Amino acid sequence: MTSAVPLHLHGISKSFGAVQALHPMTQTIEGSEMLALLGPSGCGKTTTLRIIAGFETPDHGSVVIGSCDVTELPPNKRDLGMVFQNYSLFPHMTVGENVAFGLKMQGITAAERTQRAREMLALVRLTQHEDRRIHQLSGGQQQRIALARALVTNPSTLLLDEPLGALDKNLRESMQFELRAIQQRLGITSILVTHDQEEALTMSNRVAVMCDGQVIQVGRPADIYERPRNRFVAEFLGTANIVAGTVTAQTAERRWDVALTGEAGGSVPVQSDATLTTGDTILLAVRPERLELGPVRAGGLRARVQDVVFRGSYFAYELRVHGQDRPFFHYSQTRKDIPADGMVGLRWQPDNAIVLEDRP
Amino acid sequence: MTAAPTPAAIEPAARRSRPYRLASWSWTLPVLLFLGFFFVIPLGANILRSLQTGQTATNGPLFYYIKLLTDAYYAGIIVETLKVATITTLLCLIVGYPVAYFMVRFAGRWNAVIVFLLIAPLLTSIIMRTFGWRVLLARRGALTTLLVDWGVIPRPINIADEPFAVYLGLVHVLAPFMILSISAVLQKVDVRLEESARVLGASALGTFFRITLPLSLDGIATGCILVFVVTNGSFLTMLLLGGGKITTLSLLIYQQFNVAQDVGFAAAMGNLLLFVGLVSLALQARFMRRGGVKS
Repeated sequence: MTSAVPLHLHGISKSFGAVQALHPMTQTIEGSEMLALLGPSGCGKTTTLRIIAGFETPDHGSVVIGSCDVTELPPNKRDLGMVFQNYSLFPHMTVGENVAFGLKMQGITAAERTQRAREMLALVRLTQHEDRRIHQLSGGQQQRIALARALVTNPSTLLLDEPLGALDKNLRESMQFELRAIQQRLGITSILVTHDQEEALTMSNRVAVMCDGQVIQVGRPADIYERPRNRFVAEFLGTANIVAGTVTAQTAERRWDVALTGEAGGSVPVQSDATLTTGDTILLAVRPERLELGPVRAGGLRARVQDVVFRGSYFAYELRVHGQDRPFFHYSQTRKDIPADGMVGLRWQPDNAIVLEDRP
Repeated sequence: MTAAPTPAAIEPAARRSRPYRLASWSWTLPVLLFLGFFFVIPLGANILRSLQTGQTATNGPLFYYIKLLTDAYYAGIIVETLKVATITTLLCLIVGYPVAYFMVRFAGRWNAVIVFLLIAPLLTSIIMRTFGWRVLLARRGALTTLLVDWGVIPRPINIADEPFAVYLGLVHVLAPFMILSISAVLQKVDVRLEESARVLGASALGTFFRITLPLSLDGIATGCILVFVVTNGSFLTMLLLGGGKITTLSLLIYQQFNVAQDVGFAAAMGNLLLFVGLVSLALQARFMRRGGVKS
């Protein structure tokens, strides 16, 4: 494998009629990095990928792979590998012919084609399936063949368009690790488009959360999960308990007291790098697993346990907080003792309250 | 009246012996009777007629068939029939494939409009459509008048009674069948297969010949057989637009039957035509089985 090259997007944008599918986007994907474009359908992630692949021409901006501006090049001149959601394997060719297709297009001799295709089949552990027809393979096998076909030409960049979307849950999870392992072994610069937050968090080095044609936040998976910028990111990645409040006092450096809206006299400590002043109304987000249940305390936040659901690896508590329209959720690995009246006190560590950028 | 057996007692056995079916074979009886009386029996009668009437009495039962295949004039007509059908099929393919591709890949919501435009002419009688071309192509027709007015040709000519007009008329009538056959199959070819090939280094033309075309072969085969067989059987277009310059088997049957009144010979020619059609269908079935693509 040649040394990994970075991919630069310089202010690419795209409109379809009156719809701005992608607002100007500038992003660098480092060599051998995997960047996930994460967002709901219609957020512009697929448009971005199709611009990189060359299926769409951006209205403005340029796509640079390594040091080569490929904006005007057709897809076949861009040195890319791509895996589609439904794998898009050629049904009129055998597995071996599918994998070798890219090499054939490069004019490589039949003997070398066969050899390199076999190496790729070994990489995805499907060597014995070389002469099979595509429809004889399971979904997971087709997915691996699609990956082998995309990688056989040693492309500079790998594009993954919802690569695991058609697999069932168990297979999807094991494929996430396998795909990530192969990508890291080859050190190929990769872009993953997905609407599945778990897939994005598991597989990528960095995640770019997109919404309405714009990148909202880019960062390492843990950073984005722990410090979402706004309500959209907080709620799209995992679950978030969101509550409005007013800053009442600064108690220390980076620490404030916040009176929660709708909760008489309730005040919670908050630790944040955001610049806040007394009297600001803010939105706080607390992850369900960071929420702590305890005995009801005077002046603390109280809630009534509405329901407890066993989710396999954890228990989910649905909590009704007085004065809040939406229920809170608490995830716990152990079952908690709930008082007979169902009333519990809610707490969290000050640095587990995330101050969001949006204002109520 | 004795007590009826409980449902539990009869049901398992009943289910095993008589599985639930929406329809049974007996429902096909009316159509089988209809086809038997009006299709199979006349066909059989036609075969007998070709072997027993007219000159077969003196020259043996296979006389008409031997005459058809050995007489240079009739053999020539058979060749011409197949030639006209082949050329028409190829023309329809060349005209039809791009239209089908456009319909499937680019027309979007206009697809329904195009399908309607393709089918609408089929609602008018073939005689009307063929005479329409005469109106356009004849010596004092619209096209020649226009060409004279523009100074392209010095004086009106008659294009209506030429092989050109025959092919024009045939392609006009038959191209929709080709287009609909191909587009039905193209619709099932995922555009992402083409995109995959492009990313893997295939040019636009390479993608067409390596992916799109092989995957639409079923539609091409269906369309070609359809056009080929129907062309073999059509005589109105040759009669109205050929000006006697193209004589095919079906036109000859028409003449033998109406003019020469040699019913036996006409029957033999009809059977030969039927044989050609059956061979075409068999070829298509064989092709679909072998080259058929499962996606």
